[in-house]
Amino acid sequence: MLLEIQDLYGGYGGRDVVRGVSCQADAGDILCLLGPNGCGKTTLFRLVLGALPIRRGSVRIDGREVSSLPPRALANLAAYIPQSHRPVFAYTVLEVVTMGRASHFSAFEAPGTVDRDAAFAALEKLHAAHLANRNYAALSGGQRQLVLIARAICQNARVFLMDEPAASLDYANHQLLMDVVRELAGQGYCVLLSTHGPEDPVSVADKALLLREGQAVAFGKAKEVITPQALEAVYGMEMDVLTVHDRYGAERTICLPVKKP
Amino acid sequence: MEFFYREEERRARRRYRLVLLALLAALGGAVLLSFGIGYYPLTPGQVFRAFLSRFGYGGELQPQAATIFWRIRLPRILSAVCIGASLAAAGAAYQGMFRNPLVSPDILGVSSGAGLGAALAIFSGAPGWLIQLAAFAGGIAAVALTYLVSRRAAYTQTLSLVLAGSMVMALCNAGVTMIKYVSDPNGALQQITFWLMGSLTRASLDSLARSAVPMGVGLAVLLALRWRLNLLTLEEEEAGSLGVNVRRCRLLVIFSATLLSAAAVCLGGLIGWVGLMVPHMARALVGADYRRLLPASALLGAVYLLLMDGLARSLLSLELPLGVVTSIAGAPFFICLICKRRGR
Repeated sequence: MLLEIQDLYGGYGGRDVVRGVSCQADAGDILCLLGPNGCGKTTLFRLVLGALPIRRGSVRIDGREVSSLPPRALANLAAYIPQSHRPVFAYTVLEVVTMGRASHFSAFEAPGTVDRDAAFAALEKLHAAHLANRNYAALSGGQRQLVLIARAICQNARVFLMDEPAASLDYANHQLLMDVVRELAGQGYCVLLSTHGPEDPVSVADKALLLREGQAVAFGKAKEVITPQALEAVYGMEMDVLTVHDRYGAERTICLPVKKP
Repeated sequence: MEFFYREEERRARRRYRLVLLALLAALGGAVLLSFGIGYYPLTPGQVFRAFLSRFGYGGELQPQAATIFWRIRLPRILSAVCIGASLAAAGAAYQGMFRNPLVSPDILGVSSGAGLGAALAIFSGAPGWLIQLAAFAGGIAAVALTYLVSRRAAYTQTLSLVLAGSMVMALCNAGVTMIKYVSDPNGALQQITFWLMGSLTRASLDSLARSAVPMGVGLAVLLALRWRLNLLTLEEEEAGSLGVNVRRCRLLVIFSATLLSAAAVCLGGLIGWVGLMVPHMARALVGADYRRLLPASALLGAVYLLLMDGLARSLLSLELPLGVVTSIAGAPFFICLICKRRGR
């Protein structure tokens, strides 16, 4: 297993926000984190990234204990892809992507031709090479998200953590992003992503982890885990999970809240 | 496509080299100009002969010209160059670290602390070198206090620093006002007021030499670290996930920027606006990447302050305080800046 989280406890101050979560994901897996705000999704990410101390349990990536790794070594294992943000200064896209190479040299060095080539190759991998010399701040939200994914690719980590990547995107860009995520998994990356769309796991993910108040309600194959009972336990409202066929005959899953008339 | 990006890279690098060369040329020109202008104007020929006089050449020359060249204008010009470069470099670094283009080097209270140190020293009748030392120590102490307080605050690190900085600034300014209030109006008070205005009239080669060491150290650290400054413009968590030790990196930046600005303030008093506006001009010339921005800012800061000092010396028959001139030039620039930002 590429990513193994075992009985994980951690939080802020003395209070545990994540309590006893376990899950696994392998190369090529997409693992969706689902749950209401404050259920511990972001905290779980922070624990995996080493930004918060682990109080109990363990996070292993590629068999190595995350809490024992210095930042640079961890950066070579796991990459964080934040929501697309607007920077204060007008960096070019290539400059932003090259920042992903920071863990490949020491603090007093600067990126060289190798690093810029790696950055460019990462953009090409996402079919975004034409953006290389554009002003990052002037791009659309979807394009900026793509650039941040390219930055993660040239970081050379194999586990990607995406914190609600769809939150700042419009509907079409959300769908396009999910296609990119599927492509990444196809290339052997392990993608951990948190989302507010209960349909995202069934349409994209191999696996789903349902969280409520810091505890795992369910973990497993998305098709098996996303059930009306599980969703009701997570969101505290009546939910239906419907299977339908789209115009091309593909089987699709729809989740929707229902109300007794 | 790949060819295109490499070509663009080469163009950017060529442009950067050209800008640096132009700035160096401008610096040379501004230095020559500054030797000539002032209460006692020197022609370029006189400047040249005065320079040679030290080495035994130069031919016939009024003895004042050599004295003015070596004893008055040389220390002053060198001081303007060092102060301008230091303030601009420190300002550029802080703007990135605080992710805010409207930040200046004294955001952590270095100027106020230096002002308080200087006021205390002047009040107790200390000699010039001790005033300089007290100002330097005051600046460092103020930033250290800001840093220590910020570590206990319950906000993100940058916000804590800004809050603690404004608290320390208010405290130091109150201290200065208190000292001014109890000072002798015909002695210490005048001197304190004059010191706070910012001026290069008291620059000497000795005082410059004392400030040059911390300036050199600060600038060297910032230049060595300059690519990492790009990463500090990201959210703390994001930068950390890229493998950067954010807190250590920030501490290094604060350390070197404080050395730079404290050394600048204790040499020339409070000279505002340079650290805020010069990085913006440099950004327009070479882009946002600190690898290019920091050297360009330092050079441009030197040129800019030299020109401002030239204005201060030649605008009226009496010399204007340099801090006043930079403020008069800086305020309209600031207004342009915020108007442009809103328009975007």
